[in-house]
Amino acid sequence: MLTVPLKILLLFAGTLFLLGLAGLLVRRNIIFMLMSIEIMLNSAGLVFIAAGRHWGQPDGQVMFIFILAVAAVEVSIGLALILQVYHHYKTLDVDAISKLRDHN
Amino acid sequence: MTETDFLSLTPLLIITIAPVVIMLIISIYRKYEIIFGFSLVSLLTAFVSLFIVQPLLPHRIDHLMVFDLYSLFFLGIIFFSAFLIMLLSHDYFKHLEGFREEYFIILFTATLGASLLAVANHFIIFFLGFELLSISLYILIAFQKKKDYPLEAGIKYLILASVSSAFLLFGMALIYTALGTMGFQGIADAISKMGVASPILVIGFGMMMVGIGFKLALAPFHMWTSDVYQGAPAPVSGYIATVSKGGVMAVFIRFFFDIKGFSNQDFFIVISAIAIFSMFVGNLLAIRQQNLKRLLGYSSIANMGYLIIILLIGNNDGARAAIFYMLSYFVTVIGAFGVISLLSTKNREAEKIEDFKGLFWKRPWIAIVLTLSLLSLAGIPLTAGFIAKFYVIFEGVKSGLMLLVFSMIINSVIGLYYYIRVIAVMFSTGEETTKLPSLSIIGNVALTMISISILILGVYPGWLIDMIMKLVAL
Repeated sequence: MLTVPLKILLLFAGTLFLLGLAGLLVRRNIIFMLMSIEIMLNSAGLVFIAAGRHWGQPDGQVMFIFILAVAAVEVSIGLALILQVYHHYKTLDVDAISKLRDHN
Repeated sequence: MTETDFLSLTPLLIITIAPVVIMLIISIYRKYEIIFGFSLVSLLTAFVSLFIVQPLLPHRIDHLMVFDLYSLFFLGIIFFSAFLIMLLSHDYFKHLEGFREEYFIILFTATLGASLLAVANHFIIFFLGFELLSISLYILIAFQKKKDYPLEAGIKYLILASVSSAFLLFGMALIYTALGTMGFQGIADAISKMGVASPILVIGFGMMMVGIGFKLALAPFHMWTSDVYQGAPAPVSGYIATVSKGGVMAVFIRFFFDIKGFSNQDFFIVISAIAIFSMFVGNLLAIRQQNLKRLLGYSSIANMGYLIIILLIGNNDGARAAIFYMLSYFVTVIGAFGVISLLSTKNREAEKIEDFKGLFWKRPWIAIVLTLSLLSLAGIPLTAGFIAKFYVIFEGVKSGLMLLVFSMIINSVIGLYYYIRVIAVMFSTGEETTKLPSLSIIGNVALTMISISILILGVYPGWLIDMIMKLVAL
């Protein structure tokens, strides 16, 4: 059976993480920002699975299941908040809803 | 699981069961006072149960959790702070429209998250506690969902806290890749056997530090602090400043003491830089603030800087000084946020410094509590803050951390300026402006408890220092 070396998997996961981070910094729409965060969390999950196989332990996959569950909770709360934001402001642009700042 | 496992888990189980019972009570009969009373009793029971489980210690549950005197002490701090916040929330949330009882459910889940961090001995529990705390805080911050500021603060915290947990998680994953173990002891053993740290390991620790730095609001990861403190309801801001940071601090100290991180030269430099940067950023940004909640947010950045600096001593003395500092800071900052929440009305928060103009002549008792809190934050003798700063500087000088102690002293002087400014506003005579809400018995009890704690820690701290000496041995 063909196995992918750990190094390649780490590089791939690192790229995904950086893509997510870049998306978070570039995008101004809250839903896209939430998606970028999901990509970052999943890239961490990928590293856990790769490391779990590398060490021959189930721990990595167990951790991934926890990550999946927690990410689902986070997204559901996030989407609930985003709905409220849309009701309130009629926009999902983060710059438009940013009012908290110094000296006001 | 054995019987001892269950017995030592009692405090956490009480905190877990309480929100479920509250949900049931709400579905049968929704009444604010009943829910509030039940929540208080549950937290008190959890606090008392700490003394009951104490003879079982130290006890480990697999590799996941560890119950020793250190974690028990942190659980005590967390429950005590949550109890005070709950007392102060009563008046604040009572006047709100819509459903308010759910606030207490979320408060319990957040407290559970912080408690998990205090007992964590494995990455899985660390991550679960961290996330449980963050996710509950999103809801708490945006609890008044019809208002602008809480909603915006909730979104900001959602984005930034998720990024911080992504960093933490990726760091954990890299450490697991490098070492093949996720328990704190296993990691410590693997590191001590290893000669040179691999790049993967170093990046992993760096990314974990970013995640923890976000949660503790250390510069340069502090950007969210003042916005969230301003936007969140005042009791929740107090909660973020105390319980949330207490939990993260517990796991931070335990993890880096286990792996002997503080004796690592590179880590020492990184933490010193973060600490000094946090102090200056926090204090300099606070100077010109006109908003008390933002001011307390910036001052919390500086205070976390003072706090982690002393950990660099890298032995038990440092950890003890840090924990004493943390406890006195918690009591003090709960006092300040408590005054804000008790003076807030349904439609507006008492957060502008000019709102406090002439407060002493209108509400002398509240003004005295706020004065006491601010004096304690500034580190004036006879208050908790003075003893805490003295203790930290004493340990710092003893271990020869001169640069760090020196920057801490400079920053304390800067801090003095903006705390005293608020006190001066309170004692100035001014025209009648806004009508102040009346103070309930529960609010009075909370304020009395806080001022007594500040004074006791300031005048007679010996017993607590002795207790910390006995309990904290890492």
